[in-house]
Amino acid sequence: MGTKRKLENRRKFFQTSATLIGGTLMYSLIKPFEAIAETKEKDTEDDKANLPLWGMGVDLESCIGCGKCVEACKIENDVPKEPFYFRTWVEQYTVKNDGEVKIESPNGGIGGLKQSVPDEDIFKSFMVPKLCNHCTKAPCVQACPVGATFISPDGVVLVDETYCIGCSYCIQACPYGARYMNPITKVADKCTFCYHRITKGLQPACVEVCPTDARIFGNLKDKKSDLVKFLQKNPTQVLKPHLNTHSRVFYNGLSSEVK
Amino acid sequence: MPKLIFRLFLSFVLFVSVFIFIQQHLKPDSFGKYGHYRANAIDDNKMRTSYFKSENKCKECHQDIYDLKDNDVHYGVRCESCHSPKINASVECKEMPPKVEGTLKFCGQCHAMNLGRLKKGVPQLDFKEHKQGQNCIECHNPHAPWELKEN
Repeated sequence: MGTKRKLENRRKFFQTSATLIGGTLMYSLIKPFEAIAETKEKDTEDDKANLPLWGMGVDLESCIGCGKCVEACKIENDVPKEPFYFRTWVEQYTVKNDGEVKIESPNGGIGGLKQSVPDEDIFKSFMVPKLCNHCTKAPCVQACPVGATFISPDGVVLVDETYCIGCSYCIQACPYGARYMNPITKVADKCTFCYHRITKGLQPACVEVCPTDARIFGNLKDKKSDLVKFLQKNPTQVLKPHLNTHSRVFYNGLSSEVK
Repeated sequence: MPKLIFRLFLSFVLFVSVFIFIQQHLKPDSFGKYGHYRANAIDDNKMRTSYFKSENKCKECHQDIYDLKDNDVHYGVRCESCHSPKINASVECKEMPPKVEGTLKFCGQCHAMNLGRLKKGVPQLDFKEHKQGQNCIECHNPHAPWELKEN
């Protein structure tokens, strides 16, 4: 330990500080050029501001489990008829007097749900329509290795059918089980909020056919839309909020039994 | 600069430029416009055919039936809730008319007894007691259910 070593340390300190300051200065010089590269992104962000943000409300107090929505969805979106492939389906939850919960969904609810538990054993019974929750932070989008599934600028999770390689990672990643592998096209398929309808000003097929208005579809940004009114009127919840997916399908009257 | 380092540098530049060249050619059009996906896929999703036409289309020809339904208890039920288009139906519904048989099974989709449906404003019937063996439309007009037909 001598004065020489001390000096060396001091020199090193000055050298590092100088590089740090110089680096910051250099970065500030480069920054204006970065803006040129970014303008493109900014334009798309401006586009985004004018686009709607689609969402859906599900009123469990009105759903009667008739299965019309499931049937309509299968017709509208060419979903295979087998009772294994669904873009949307309806489950019947039955809480028995002894606390046991029975969840049924024969053929997704097509043809109307039927209660299989005798009335005297039932504590409560209700229907829950399920579909893709169109998460803001979608796990399926993060899992896709090729960028074939994505969140469109108007907030709908879509699948690029020509780009999907059919690895089914997204199907495993979805915490709501809303995706399936289409046996005909061999690519992942899911609810698109009937994207071909909503972009033409129509309602999704399931919303169109619901006889009790249990499904409410609309633009979350439009303060006068039916959906925003529904959200103002009712205390709503999303499915699996602990997963932080920030989904855009809101349920009114959701019981704690629903998984 | 030593020759070795120069060659290394040259091969590095070559490698990067070849990579960029290949990437430019393999990358599909519009990839990355909005994010890590093909922006044209949004248009692909818009291109599907819609089989369901919505009530406005039905009203063009069937305004009278629509008015009858709209002023009765089935006002909330949309035309296509019952008259759903047949699969493979073309744009014109006349070629494959969406006919409905008013059977117990069909009406029972909404009106058959189910504890999960009670108190939701939809009448519930035990079809074992209510006119068993008959079709609903033999007595009820589906567009105005309480205008009972005389048997």
